[in-house]
Amino acid sequence: MALIERPTQRALVPAVATPSTTYGVFRRPVESTGWKSWAFTVDHKKIGIMYSATALFFFLVGGFEALLIRAQLAGEEGTILSADTYNQMFTMHATTMIFLFVMPMTTGIANYVVPLQIGARDVAFPRLNAFGYWTFLAGGLFLNSSWLLGGAADGGWFMYAPNSSVPFSPSHGIDFWVLGLQITGIASLTSAINLIVTIINMRAPGMSLMKMPVFTWMALVTQFLLVFAIPVITVALFLLMFQREFDATFFDVNAGADPLLWQHLFWIFGHPEVYILILPSFGIVSEVLPVFSRKPLFGYPLVVFSGAAIGFLGWGVWAHHMFASGLGPVSVAVFAVSTMAIAIPTGVKIVNWTMTMWGGKLWFTTAMLFAMGLIVQFTIGGLSGVTHAVAPSDTQQTDTYYIVAHFHYVLFGGAVLGIFAGLYYWWPKVFGQQLSEKWGKANFWTMVIGLNMTFGPMHVTGLQGQPRRMYQTTAERAGEGFFNISFWNLIASIGSLILAIGVLFFVINVIVTARKGEKAPLDPWDARSLEWMTNSPPKEHNFDAIPTVHHLDEFFHRKYEDVGEGEHHEFHKIATAEELIAEQEANADAHIHMPSPSYWPIIVSFSLPVMAYGIIYSRWMIPIGFAIAMFGIYGWAMEPPTATADDYEPPPPPSGGELEVATHG
Amino acid sequence: MFTTGSKLLIGSAFAAAVFAVVYGVTQEGSLGTIGLISAAVGLALLATINVLVRDSNVSAMDPEGFEASAAARNSARASLWPLLTALGATTVTLGLITNRTFFILGMAAITAGGLGWLVQAWSERASADRRFNQRARNTLIDPIELPIAGAIGAGILIYSFSRIMLGLPSKTATIVAFGVMGAIVLFVGAIVGLKRGASRTAMTGTYGLAAVALIAGGAYAGLNGERETHPHHTPGDIAEENECGPEETEADDLASQSVASKANIAAELTFDGSSLTYDLPGYDGQSAGLTVPRSTPTNIMFHNDGDDDARLVIEMHPRVDDDGNPTGPELICTALGEPGSTQFLTLLFAMPSSAVEGGYAFTVPGTDASLPVVVP
Amino acid sequence: MKDPMFERSLRVPKLRRFAAPVAGVGAMLALSSCAEDAPQDTWQPAGENAQLIQDLQWWVFLIAGIVGVLVFAAVLYCVIRFKDRGQPIPEQSHGNALIEYTFIAIPAALLAVIGGFTINGIFELNRTDDTQCEINVTGQQWWWEYDYPVAADGSICGYMPSAAAAPIVTSGQMVIPTNTRVLIRGTSRDVIHSFWVPRLNGKRDMVPGRVHTWRFHAFEPGIYAGQCAEFCGLSHANMRMEIVALDPPDFQTWLDNQLAPYTSPEEGTLAAAGEEAFIANCSRCHQIDGLTTPEGDPVISAPDQWVYAGAAPNLTNLMTRNTFAGASWDLLTEDCREAVWEASPEDFGAAYLKGVTPECLNQIDLREWLRDPPGKKPMYADPDKLEETEGKFRGMPDLGLSEDQIDQLVAYLLERK
Repeated sequence: MALIERPTQRALVPAVATPSTTYGVFRRPVESTGWKSWAFTVDHKKIGIMYSATALFFFLVGGFEALLIRAQLAGEEGTILSADTYNQMFTMHATTMIFLFVMPMTTGIANYVVPLQIGARDVAFPRLNAFGYWTFLAGGLFLNSSWLLGGAADGGWFMYAPNSSVPFSPSHGIDFWVLGLQITGIASLTSAINLIVTIINMRAPGMSLMKMPVFTWMALVTQFLLVFAIPVITVALFLLMFQREFDATFFDVNAGADPLLWQHLFWIFGHPEVYILILPSFGIVSEVLPVFSRKPLFGYPLVVFSGAAIGFLGWGVWAHHMFASGLGPVSVAVFAVSTMAIAIPTGVKIVNWTMTMWGGKLWFTTAMLFAMGLIVQFTIGGLSGVTHAVAPSDTQQTDTYYIVAHFHYVLFGGAVLGIFAGLYYWWPKVFGQQLSEKWGKANFWTMVIGLNMTFGPMHVTGLQGQPRRMYQTTAERAGEGFFNISFWNLIASIGSLILAIGVLFFVINVIVTARKGEKAPLDPWDARSLEWMTNSPPKEHNFDAIPTVHHLDEFFHRKYEDVGEGEHHEFHKIATAEELIAEQEANADAHIHMPSPSYWPIIVSFSLPVMAYGIIYSRWMIPIGFAIAMFGIYGWAMEPPTATADDYEPPPPPSGGELEVATHG
Repeated sequence: MFTTGSKLLIGSAFAAAVFAVVYGVTQEGSLGTIGLISAAVGLALLATINVLVRDSNVSAMDPEGFEASAAARNSARASLWPLLTALGATTVTLGLITNRTFFILGMAAITAGGLGWLVQAWSERASADRRFNQRARNTLIDPIELPIAGAIGAGILIYSFSRIMLGLPSKTATIVAFGVMGAIVLFVGAIVGLKRGASRTAMTGTYGLAAVALIAGGAYAGLNGERETHPHHTPGDIAEENECGPEETEADDLASQSVASKANIAAELTFDGSSLTYDLPGYDGQSAGLTVPRSTPTNIMFHNDGDDDARLVIEMHPRVDDDGNPTGPELICTALGEPGSTQFLTLLFAMPSSAVEGGYAFTVPGTDASLPVVVP
Repeated sequence: MKDPMFERSLRVPKLRRFAAPVAGVGAMLALSSCAEDAPQDTWQPAGENAQLIQDLQWWVFLIAGIVGVLVFAAVLYCVIRFKDRGQPIPEQSHGNALIEYTFIAIPAALLAVIGGFTINGIFELNRTDDTQCEINVTGQQWWWEYDYPVAADGSICGYMPSAAAAPIVTSGQMVIPTNTRVLIRGTSRDVIHSFWVPRLNGKRDMVPGRVHTWRFHAFEPGIYAGQCAEFCGLSHANMRMEIVALDPPDFQTWLDNQLAPYTSPEEGTLAAAGEEAFIANCSRCHQIDGLTTPEGDPVISAPDQWVYAGAAPNLTNLMTRNTFAGASWDLLTEDCREAVWEASPEDFGAAYLKGVTPECLNQIDLREWLRDPPGKKPMYADPDKLEETEGKFRGMPDLGLSEDQIDQLVAYLLERK
């Protein structure tokens, strides 16, 4: 940075006044169109879209890995993947789906929707938000670069020690896994802090915590879980990294270590992690069902409290992943009981969702279908979970395909169906266009059929003795008869293809909708919460006038007035969304201050993989990466949140004409 | 028109090029030539840039503006950076003669002083407005200065505190010291908290006094030296020094393998003064005998329930390689444990009992206690 | 402009809404009880421990199934009854405390009952005080070793051998007496494995540095299949085992046979050449008890020098068991295998004790294995890639045996009964 006084081109006057030029060499990016407006944005909406798009890309990557796994297991003694490649494939499939798809996808949706739902203009720390996205991208790319650099991690996604140490996994794959997860962990942690502060501090006037939409509540609980769970996995990953890179002996049994240390650390993270994965989808469903049932959510306080209870109790059940690990009967008994206890708040939600629909006026759009699908599919997964809570039974079920069936039902049938419900629901708001209902139905049905066909038979094969993580099945253990284990594996593999087609229908839907270009109305679903009281897509500053909130489902109450007397309620529509927004525009706030874009977050983000590559390959790269990070943080700290006026008068582009600049204030 | 700086750089680049040619022609080896050519290229690059920006020399481009501009008006203020740089230079010289640490500290001081001096000099010429200059300087250097100053300050305080703690001779002294310090902090804090509008100088004075006391105490304790601490020796160390006998040795004095409990170990051995018995934790029935599978990492706990100090020893009968050197430890033992203590051992039997003369047995040296262990 | 969302073509047939999940679940429930004699079926207990688990779990599954059906029914009802048919905006009910608390109380009560029985089951399965037979189990990449320790009174597994007692070391198939409470004390030499024979009990992890106890009990003679159930690396899929239960007289016969002294092959036979080939190539790692060199020195194997985890399967009485290489392949041809595996409980003992006869030997798999073990079973046995394991193998390397050597070795091994 050349910090020189710019030579003045104007008439020379003694420079007694305070100059106002900026100090940096590079002009602060202020464009609002073009690639720069995406690369340097701090707008939560753009960041949310980037998170979601990247997560969907990784969904396809993880899905492809799953298809390869199913192809290998379609027949006995398959030869499509070698044992080594298969081990990498299932490890990376799980890692990609959990850390690079579901977590960033829910973060992306939360990033987009939560500020709108609480009536804020952006999140509390916009540049940190951007940093979170670019760090996630850097981590995801870094992790997947292992495929090209000697093989990916091959120890299973929970990477039990001592199999994860160097003599048993000599390739660099696990090093990439460890460092990649550290990087994405940093991203998750910064997003979590950001969203917590936003939700607690930046709600619209009048919006008390118990008037917040349920999705925001679930997002809040999820972020708290992240804040406490990510440090635990960070510790575990540091121990493993030091073991692998610097010959530490944390998990070296000959030095007196106990391999169960890793298991405990991992699962203290791992169990809250699964609640991190599912709670946002619970929140989405709690938004979608009331809108399409034309009734408020049944038992809002209990849904909120049960979400918080799940978050809290979720810390006390981790050892149910370790029932067969030799913990001793007392520990096992305690965790069996606590696991059964946590089924209760989850059951509460199912009851409340069903009762929301009960007596309603149900409108079966694709979003509603996905939400109802979640209720049904998640119930199946949850009930198989209850059978695991019976610890002696779990010693038969754990590490078999029965468990694989359980978690795929709760994750695919739960988290993913919820995510798709959210996508279909909020698409018109985000992009101004509604996804095609025809393709949407095709998407939904194919996915549901595919999902049940893939994971349903796994219950059977698991109970009949097929363990998980086996690169091949054999005729000897498959049993006799037509409907033996091999048959069900074949059905599951065919089901996976159907599932893939279902996902393909979604991609087609997106493309077809984008091509058609039909504009959607502002409030296509006659929704209930504040994010719908904006343009489609919302203006950069979200709300022209920050609304004052008087009710839960504020937007609904602004559109509908209760004209009944006493106990009897009758709602009449008194305003449409268009009228409400026109009213907002007329009373727009005078001074709207928005944060300006910045290039520092992306610089700091990409220094992280530099350090990570250095740890694996050449230690010299570590100080270089660190220097870049420090340089970036320094520049970030020096930069004011809003660019100065001068930055907003960039020189005209070489082709002439005006450059569109972002809002500044 | 070339400025002074440009002339210097152009000349240097030219000179480097000439030297490169001369050296390359006359000398053997390419390293020097490459170096000189690189220097020439680098200097040429710098010269080019310099010429293009006219050496950033306002007077070169605009003599009148030069007179009027703020940069020409020197409003130098008091500054500690020259002092720090000078100190650094002195320490560097000192360090060359005495200690490497001084050299490094001196270099750090020169770097810090140089940077600080540079930034301050620049900020004083940035404009004619002192307050603006100060703000500019702070914006620029605070993100570096404050964390470093904070870290150094905190480091000194923490280091002093640690020297004090390490210097305290006994447990009682430590309790007293902590208690006294804690009481003082509580007392002063209570006064500050309860009294309204404590004067700033009083506060600064109190904290300054506390810091000075801490640093002084730390310096004294540091110079006095640490108290005796006991490095922990492991079974490997003890066995290597072949000290697995019944007497206490220095290794035992420094060892600590006391472990209160450990999960799912292979066996718990108890010595009652004359014999060794074993117990298999987690197994309530009659055991078939102490059997340990070959080559499995095995954890053993040893309870000394006798009246004297005792240790557990096992002879490992390691393989002998071609030069006659054992490929593994010959003896593995715990530290000498007091009566009532529990010691912990990790071992691995590379060879079965049938390959070893007399089989394996745990013994307590100095007694006849012996517990055979079968390795199938 | 036609607003797509108001298309009445959204007439999705109501029942189709649930075709998939209902069909899926229904098929699952129906066909899962359509058992096809899967050898590792967890719902076909053959011993008291698995029976305890089954007694506990079947009604939990039943309750879960009923709850599931009730939820589907409720959702289905909503779909049919409350579909938008133009009715006015419904009652904006915010909740009903009675319904909520009822639906909290009922599952809580159910779970409390289930919990009570669960705790009882957990402690019952962890009992060790009624053990009648003790066997040490050690997992290693990628095979299982069993050793039968000798008790103070000279008995093994509660039986007095007719010859001098010594610990028996076998691998792959663990032989136990029927109706006996067997306790295994299990550990591992390298990574975490898991010992799982579903028809006899759930699984228990075998963790290096720790010793875990687990119970086995078989009602009837038979062969019970199992598999390692904790991911342990490259050939985790190929790490299998069986538990063989024999009636007391048959077990006594087996025991005595295991302790029978070593008999050298007749001079001049192929097997005798095989003995030499074995000493030269295999005895580095594999132990055969009683084997001596021509000079008379006992041959003690040294797998701790060659294998990272320090052990290799003991082949003393290889042909008394009928699987090899971590129970990955059968030693018996298909027909002979059927005769043993499908034998009725009364005939099983005799069929098993016959062992592997030359006519019944599965030459193909055994020879392929001897020719190139890493080619047949993925292992880390490439001598050029052993830097991280101090130059030691994980698994059996390719010894470069010639066909003649293989013939000799097979002949020799056939006599190991």
